[in-house]
Amino acid sequence: MTDISLKIREIAARLLESGQVDMFIGWEEGEEQYQTRPFIAHRVEDVEKLVFNQYAVHNLANALLKYRDGSEKIGMLAKGCDSRGIVRLLQDGQFQRERLYIVGIACPGMKDPLAAAKSRSGFLPAVTDSGLAAKCTDCIEPNPVIYDELIGEKETPRVQEGQRFKLVQDIENMTLEERYRFFEDIFSRCIRCYACRQACVACNCRTCIFDEMKPQWVGRETSISDNFMYHLVRASHMAGRCIECGECERVCPVNIPLMLINQKLIKDVNAFFGPYEAGMAYTEGAKPPLSSYQENDPDNFL
Amino acid sequence: MPEHKCDCENPLVPGIVEVIDIKDETPDVKSFFVRSVDGGVPFNVMPGQLGMVSLMPVGEGMYSVSWQEEQEYLQFAIKRVGLMTDELHRIEVGQKLGVRGPYGNGFPVEECKGRDMLFIAGGIGLAPLRSFIKYCFKHRRDYRRIQIIYGSRSYNDLCFKDELFDKWPREQDTEVYTTIDNPEAAWDGHVGFVPAYLEEISPSPEGKIAVVCGPPIMIKFVLQSLEKMGYGDEQVISTLEMRMKCGIGKCGRCNVGSEYICLDGPVFTLAQLKKLPPEW
Amino acid sequence: MQILSKSKLNAALDLLSRQAELFVPLARGEESGYYPWKSYQAGSDQLMLDALNVMLPPKGVVFPQTERIYSFTGNDKGVEIKESFENHDPRIIFGIRACDTAALDCFDDVFLTMGYVDSLYAARRENTTIIAHACYRPGDNCFCAAMGIDPTEPTKADVIIRDTGDAYIWESKTDKGDKLTAALSSLLEDREAATPEMQAFKHQVDYEGVAEKLKDMFEHSIWDELSQTCQTCGICTYVCPSCYCFDIQVKSWGDEGYRFRCYDSCMYPEYTQMAGGHNPRGDSRERFRNRFLHKLEFFKERYGKPLCTGCGRCIVACPAGIDITQIIKQIKEADTSAGA
Repeated sequence: MTDISLKIREIAARLLESGQVDMFIGWEEGEEQYQTRPFIAHRVEDVEKLVFNQYAVHNLANALLKYRDGSEKIGMLAKGCDSRGIVRLLQDGQFQRERLYIVGIACPGMKDPLAAAKSRSGFLPAVTDSGLAAKCTDCIEPNPVIYDELIGEKETPRVQEGQRFKLVQDIENMTLEERYRFFEDIFSRCIRCYACRQACVACNCRTCIFDEMKPQWVGRETSISDNFMYHLVRASHMAGRCIECGECERVCPVNIPLMLINQKLIKDVNAFFGPYEAGMAYTEGAKPPLSSYQENDPDNFL
Repeated sequence: MPEHKCDCENPLVPGIVEVIDIKDETPDVKSFFVRSVDGGVPFNVMPGQLGMVSLMPVGEGMYSVSWQEEQEYLQFAIKRVGLMTDELHRIEVGQKLGVRGPYGNGFPVEECKGRDMLFIAGGIGLAPLRSFIKYCFKHRRDYRRIQIIYGSRSYNDLCFKDELFDKWPREQDTEVYTTIDNPEAAWDGHVGFVPAYLEEISPSPEGKIAVVCGPPIMIKFVLQSLEKMGYGDEQVISTLEMRMKCGIGKCGRCNVGSEYICLDGPVFTLAQLKKLPPEW
Repeated sequence: MQILSKSKLNAALDLLSRQAELFVPLARGEESGYYPWKSYQAGSDQLMLDALNVMLPPKGVVFPQTERIYSFTGNDKGVEIKESFENHDPRIIFGIRACDTAALDCFDDVFLTMGYVDSLYAARRENTTIIAHACYRPGDNCFCAAMGIDPTEPTKADVIIRDTGDAYIWESKTDKGDKLTAALSSLLEDREAATPEMQAFKHQVDYEGVAEKLKDMFEHSIWDELSQTCQTCGICTYVCPSCYCFDIQVKSWGDEGYRFRCYDSCMYPEYTQMAGGHNPRGDSRERFRNRFLHKLEFFKERYGKPLCTGCGRCIVACPAGIDITQIIKQIKEADTSAGA
C-alpha cells in the first residue's frame, strides 16, 4: 500500500501547491494502523500524513456537507462508495461539480477501524479482528464512478453471484409474526443517538424531519413505536437514494443491521422502478426514481 | 428555591394558574396576566426574574416576568415566534396554564439605588427591562434620573405603547426616547437603529447604570457603543436569553461558559460577561 | 477479610436480585452494557465481570434514556397535574468500575446540588446501592488516573470488590453496604487474601493545568483543526458515562398527556436553536468546542472536578477517530502567545 500512499501525497502536494484546491481530504493513521481516520490537508506540509491503507473505510463524501455553503475548492480521494456518495450530493444539488477535484482510487476492500478498536477495547468478549468490514462484503462497485484522475488497479465487485439480497430474502420468507418479532428485537436496542443519520451522505436535509417540531412527526422517546417510526421513515427517505456505503450500520453503537432494511428497499426499487442503482453515474438533471413520476408507475401496493 | 404552590417535591412540576386577561401589545406580542387558581400569585418575583410557562399539551417556554402587581397577577409579555408561542397566542381568557419559578438572579435593584438609570432596549427586549423600570417608578425616590431609549422595527412593533408615550414621559426626572428602523408616514419621531440613536443622545456615564436588552446582535453593538462612550464594565448590565428546558441548571444547554443563564443569569454585568465566552 | 468465592458468585447474584433489581455488566448479542441479572440468558449472554468494562455506561440505571416527569389532564376548562413519576424501586449496580462511579459522582453534583434537587434522579439514586469493582489492569484507552481518579478505590461505592483470581475481597464501605454484607453472610467467608497489584497505565495523559489554560483558549485556532472531521453524530455523548444533557418534551393525546425527558446531545444542531431563529452554536465547530470546554474546563470551574473520567469509551466509538486524549495533549502543547 505504501506506493499508493506516496502517489497520493504527490498528487495532493501538486494540487495544493498550484492552488488548484484549497484543501485535500484523505486519511491519516494514528499511533496504530487500525486508528485510521479522515484527515484534511490544508498546507503542503500536511500531505505527509496522508495514507491509504486497509482501514480507509470511511465515506469521505460525508465530509463535504460541512462545506456545501462555502466556495472552497476541494480535492479528495474517492473509493467506489465515496464516489457514489459524491454523485448523491451532486444529484441532490448539495454540491457543485466545479468545486471538486476527485482522485478516484479503486478499493481492494477495507477493514473496519471501529471493529478493530472495539475488539481491542476490553469492552467486548474477545473478538478476533475478522477480515473485511461487513459493508465491504456486499460491495457491488469498488471502482470510482466519477473522478478527475484515477489511480490503483481496477477491482472486481466483491459481492458473490446471487448472494446480494440473500439476508433480505431470508427475512421475506419469514411469517409476518416472525418478521415483526425480528424487527421489534432489533429496534428495541436503538438508543436514538441519530449517528446513522449523521454518518449518512443521503441524509442532507437542512432541517431533518426528525428535528421538526411543527408538527413533531416522531417523538423523542425510545419507545418501540417511536423507534420503529424513526427507522422506517428514514429508510423510506433512502429508497432509491441509498448508495450502499454501509456507514450507518458501521457507526451504530448498538449494532443494528441497518443495511438489511436499506437493501430491502434497494431490491424493491429495482423491482418496481428498475433496473436502478443509486449514485452510479452523474447526469445533470437526473432524479432518483421516487422523485419523478411516470403514468405507468406500479401502484398495486397502494 | 421555587415557591410554586405544588405539593410535590418535583421541581419540574408547575403550579396551575388562570389567564385573567390578555392584551395585544403589537401584531405579534401579547401580554398574558396570570393568577393562581385559588387567588394570589404562584410565586413572588424580583425584577428580571423568569418563569417557565407551560401550555400543557404543547410545551414549555421560559419568559421574563414583565411585572408583578402585588398579589394580583404576574404579567408575561410574549412574542409569537415558534411552536409553543403560536399556540399560546390562540388561547382565551380563562385558560389554565402551568407556571413554575421564580428562576434566575434578577436585576440588582438594591445596588442601583441612588444612581441615574439608563435603560436601552430593542424589540421584545423591553419586556424584561420593564419590570426594572416600573420598579424604579414604584420606588421613585430611590433612583435619580431615568432615561429610556427604546427602538423597534416599526411603530406597530413598539411594545407597551401607553406607558412609553403617555405614562413614563410624565414621571419625575424621566426622559423617554423612541426610534423605529425605517421612516413611516404617521411617525414623526426618530428613525434609526438603537445603537446609533444611543450614540446620538450620548448620555453621560457619570454615576450611571446602563441596563441593556434586545436581540443578541443589538446587545453586542450597544455594549460596544457604551464602552466607546466611556462606561465602565461594572456600570453596564444586560439580561441574556438562551434556549432553556429545565430552568433549574441541570439540562445543560443554556450555558455561557460555566454559567447557566437560568440559574446564574439571566442578568450579568459587562464585567462578568467579559470573563465568559461570547457565545450567546 | 470478607471473601466471596467466585464459585458462589451466581448464588450471590441470585440472592441480591431478590433484594432489588440487580444490574450486572453483560455482553448481549454484539454489544455490552448493564442489564438486569434477571434477564440473563445462558448461551446468548455473557457476564463481563472479568472484562475491563462494557461499551454502554451504567448511567441508565439512575438516569434512563427516557423518563416520564409528570402526567396531566388539560383542556380549555381546566388543567390538573395527575402524578409525578419518582421511582423509588431499589436497585443494585454490581461490578461498576471507578471511572463509572466517578461519573455518578458528577451526576450527583449536577442533579442534587446548586439550589434544586432533581426529585426523579434523587429517588432513583437514593435507592441504588453500588457494588464497585476495583480495577488493577488499565486498558489501552484508559486514563482515569490522569483525571484524578484512583481505579482501585472507586468513589461513592457502598461495597468494593477486589478480584484475587478465584475470589473477590468484599469490602463494605457504608451502611447500605453493611446491609448487603449481612444479606450475603451465608455466602461470604472470613479469611485472608492478597490484594491484586496495580499495573501501569499504557496510555500516558497529562491533564495538569489544562483547565486553567483553556480559560483563555476560547478563540484559539486549535478548534478549527480539531473539529474538522467531527460529524456531530453524538455517539460520544451516548457512550459517555458522565454526559447528562437532556431534553424535555411532551406527549399528549386528547385531553391527557405527560411531560417526559430524554437524552439530548450538545452535538446536535438544534441543541441551542431558539424559536426566534437565533442559534449561538449553529456551526459544528462551535458545538465541538463547547463539548470539550464543558468536559475539561467549565464543569471543573463549577463543580471542582472535570466531567471526563477517563473511561476511554468515546475513543473506541468515534466514527471519525477523534480522541479526547489527543485533544488534551494538543491543548497542553498549544501556543497561546498572541496571534495563535
